[in-house]
Amino acid sequence: MTATEWVRVRDLFERLLDQSEPDALAWLDREAGDNIPLRTEVLSLLEHHKKAGVFLSEPATVEPAPYDDPSLEPGQVVGPYTIIREAGRGGMGRVYVASDARLGRMVALKAVRSQLADSAQRDRLRREARAAAALTHPGICTVYALEDLDGDLFIASEFIEGRTLRQEMADGGHPSLLNAVNTARDIAAALAAAHAAGIAHGDLKPDNIMRAYDGRLKILDFGLARLEPASQALQGLHDTRLGAIGGTPGYMAPEQLNGRPPDARADVFGFGVLMYEYICGTHPFNASTPLGIAARVLESDAQPITAVRSDLPQTLAEVIDRCLRKSASERFASAGEIVRALSLDTHEAPRARVATWWRAHQLIVMGLYLVASIAAWQIKELRGGSATALFLTVGIAATVAAVFRGHLLFTERVNRPGLTPERRRTAPITLAVDLLIAAALGLDGVMLGLSAPLPAVLTLALSVGLALARLIVEPSTTAAAFGETSPNAS
Amino acid sequence: MAPNDAVFETVVYGELRRLAAAYMRRERPGQTLQPTALVHEVYMRLAKTEPAWTDRNHFLGIAARSMRQILVDRARARGAQKRWAGMDRVTLTESLVGAGHDDAMLPALDEALSRLEQLDPEQARIIELRYFIGLSVEEAADALTMSPATLKRRWALARAWLFRELSRDPAPSQS
Repeated sequence: MTATEWVRVRDLFERLLDQSEPDALAWLDREAGDNIPLRTEVLSLLEHHKKAGVFLSEPATVEPAPYDDPSLEPGQVVGPYTIIREAGRGGMGRVYVASDARLGRMVALKAVRSQLADSAQRDRLRREARAAAALTHPGICTVYALEDLDGDLFIASEFIEGRTLRQEMADGGHPSLLNAVNTARDIAAALAAAHAAGIAHGDLKPDNIMRAYDGRLKILDFGLARLEPASQALQGLHDTRLGAIGGTPGYMAPEQLNGRPPDARADVFGFGVLMYEYICGTHPFNASTPLGIAARVLESDAQPITAVRSDLPQTLAEVIDRCLRKSASERFASAGEIVRALSLDTHEAPRARVATWWRAHQLIVMGLYLVASIAAWQIKELRGGSATALFLTVGIAATVAAVFRGHLLFTERVNRPGLTPERRRTAPITLAVDLLIAAALGLDGVMLGLSAPLPAVLTLALSVGLALARLIVEPSTTAAAFGETSPNAS
Repeated sequence: MAPNDAVFETVVYGELRRLAAAYMRRERPGQTLQPTALVHEVYMRLAKTEPAWTDRNHFLGIAARSMRQILVDRARARGAQKRWAGMDRVTLTESLVGAGHDDAMLPALDEALSRLEQLDPEQARIIELRYFIGLSVEEAADALTMSPATLKRRWALARAWLFRELSRDPAPSQS
């Protein structure tokens, strides 16, 4: 039936409703003329109108006794799996801890709700599970198999004992800076592996990140976001946009809220929200209702993270703020870029082995200060006069320089992120003082001259050595340890 | 900037779903809840926090659509199609004309409604407002900006059309 035909049927039907029986038929005959299908259709509808009783007259009701997927009991055997206990309920259904008889290992067994079980949805689930199973990374919970057991669907995956970041946050307390930085790095690295394989997570949130009891982080439910109930409509028969958006409003990128399927850039946004919330303990777009959160995600910028936690390393703060940009093109293109941005920061933390040489250099130079002071004192004993002034110069300068170097060593030990600024601040002073010591020793050496050739040569050698150590050796050990080319580069 | 429909739908749908689930846990089996109450509560919440976003008629349309989705999904989850397909003709007709709400027919109703929607979207809106969120003739007419008399006639037509569809084909289409 075309739209025009329908309007005709509707009009005739509506007018017939108001007329009494005998007139009506005659009237319809006149109206419909020789259009037999039209006449038949209208009469058929009228007949069903009369027979319909109270069909649909009572509004639909919401009934309690929610359906529940039958639960599996401990000890029950499903295919090759023996249920050990129920671990919880996820968006898709119940999750069990089970043992896999074939390989003798523990698995997490996710029962997929029966409403996800028609054939088109199974195919889709199979595709997603296959994609997720292709991801092998220590930071991603491994999917082992999608099992179809007696008509029920199960996803078997790596069993991880630990706590989600959501649970960690619920226990209160802000994570330490070290923990924040490491958590961001681990998640970004795992996510980068997935993005490199062309797979987006689509629903990053603290509930989907698990910290195993051995401390390793694992991202859960990769690629399964669009199978959550909120998005079932998308897979349904009808062209309805309802719930077409998977994911969780508070962690969805603006473009995702607008109905675009999640991609790597949306994950980058989710990563930003997740890290912000984890580090600060407050959601960057917090509001009292989901609609309010969605409004803030779309319209208002989050407070810069440094305004909430000022002690955060600058690099991490900048990364998170950039992840939260409204426009996808202004964010990192994928988690791989986040990893690279964060790794610029690793140059700040001395690379362990090379840093040892940097430390050794500091200690040796401090030793040389002592030798220089003793030498200057000996020369003062020999010569007196201007040698006393030189001894005082060397002694005071060596003390000052040693204090600064000690300070740097201490900073490197207890406050690595603070080392670079301290180093830059003290560099001109140590440079000046070192050169002053070298110069004073040089004068001492000249003063001894031919009257005491051996001490004179030794003193001059010490002077030249100190100057070379400061001007040539130290810049290169520092550059090797901290990845810088010159002390003035920033 | 007002939210676009996709955002609004997602939020309304989510809120209704959440509230419905909360109610269903609280009530004892056998008791039922009118969707009207749920819809009203969601409206009050949204109107309080985001007044600029909540045009009442627009909201009702989306809430009705969401409620249809929620109830149909729940019925599917309870295996409604199987029960529906298993009914003999007499039981089927009884359950259609009977006063009681039977969620076994919801998936079939939903499919028929989608076919009707293609013919005339307004017909589907009327069913959603009247049946799925229980608006009165006057309220529904108001939401669709038509006269109550017109709405009443169109409602009768939609009901007749759907009744014919459902009594004609007891087996749900294969999906």
